[in-house]
Amino acid sequence: MHMGNQVIRIALIVAVAGVRLAMAPAVAADATVAGAPVAADPDAINAAPTVKDWQSLAKLPDWSGIWTPVISDQRAQEKSNPPPWTPQVAKQIAHMYAEESAGRPFPIIDHCFPTGMPSWMLITHNAFEILFTPGRVTILGEGDGNRLRRIYTDGRPHPADPDPSFHGHSIGHWDKDTLVVDTVALLPQGYLAVNEAVGVPNNGDMHIVERLHLLDADTLADDLEISANKVLSKPWHTTRKYYRQRAQKYDIAEGVCAQGSFTEAVDKNGNAIFAPIKFHNGVPVGSDSK
Amino acid sequence: MNQVSVKRPLMAAMLAAAVAAGWPAAAHHSFAMYEPTKTLTFKGTVKAFQWTNPHVVVWVLVQPDAGGAAQEWSFETTSPGVLTRAGWTRQSLKAGDRVSVTFSPLRDGSHGGGLNSVTLIDTGQKLVPSFGKEQPGLK
Repeated sequence: MHMGNQVIRIALIVAVAGVRLAMAPAVAADATVAGAPVAADPDAINAAPTVKDWQSLAKLPDWSGIWTPVISDQRAQEKSNPPPWTPQVAKQIAHMYAEESAGRPFPIIDHCFPTGMPSWMLITHNAFEILFTPGRVTILGEGDGNRLRRIYTDGRPHPADPDPSFHGHSIGHWDKDTLVVDTVALLPQGYLAVNEAVGVPNNGDMHIVERLHLLDADTLADDLEISANKVLSKPWHTTRKYYRQRAQKYDIAEGVCAQGSFTEAVDKNGNAIFAPIKFHNGVPVGSDSK
Repeated sequence: MNQVSVKRPLMAAMLAAAVAAGWPAAAHHSFAMYEPTKTLTFKGTVKAFQWTNPHVVVWVLVQPDAGGAAQEWSFETTSPGVLTRAGWTRQSLKAGDRVSVTFSPLRDGSHGGGLNSVTLIDTGQKLVPSFGKEQPGLK
């Protein structure tokens, strides 16, 4: 079906481009054989990394530290480069903007599900960090319960029929100092959002290609190409920027979204417990509110 | 909880459209349910300082103008990670602190608001939520 074509197409892109795959183990070599589309191997294993695999990490660009989003640029781009919504979706979006202006913001991420892809990269106000290990790039975020991206750079293709998830299935390769990430298998219910009150579920078949690269010593850019033919009339190209912080006080804070629905309390046995907070229309209110 | 010992709340509703532009919207939901063109200031006593994701909440007991029991109000702001970059810590406020809170109230009249600033009455220290400076290498 769709995913099978996806796998073949991506494999061909990789093969034709002849790109250098990071930390290329044996699997990656197979993936670059011209004209040989790679099907996911159901019996593939995660081989133990070699010393050479670890050493190869030193050749990658330095993306250590904590990356904080450039929020003013997010907001500027929301106005200057909106997604090419289909006409039907554009009506929903206009209504959501009107509702937000009227003080009735639509609760896109109030449910405590992960913000997910691509909205995390587009609208977050929180920081993330990027880890390199052999065959893998991992992005760990802040702010919701499972803000975590696993990007496989070991040359594997997407699975033939991956389970949909909030962050999707991501494979990546290095094009010089740019990490190219291809993401599929995103839950149809996941939002394509331009702010915390405006966006729509992607409704399925969304495909994201990102090029992550440094703009200067301490600015990371994510150039996104988002294809979502159920809601967009054509692929949307947009960029988000993040600044590097090194002060340890800015290290990532644990973010367990559900914790925000409780307050600290002590039960009759003297145990420390979480007690529910009173909410009204999605926001905490004083317990004596009507 | 501690007995509330506060002055009458200062109900200083005023037009402040500029507040909207500088509003530190949270990491979780739009803050449009708060009325950005209204700013109120209450004095009260911190009941709890909830230092949690996705939102930090300052719970304050406020003595109503008309007398009677203190009312519990919630003042919501952005997340611990973001506030840390603005100079806050988990210890910035504690239960029992006497505070003056400036906020945009919920439009539906519930006892809650979006926090604009909180000042510790005993020390004069003013805490303002913000995203912090947009630049790398912050100290």
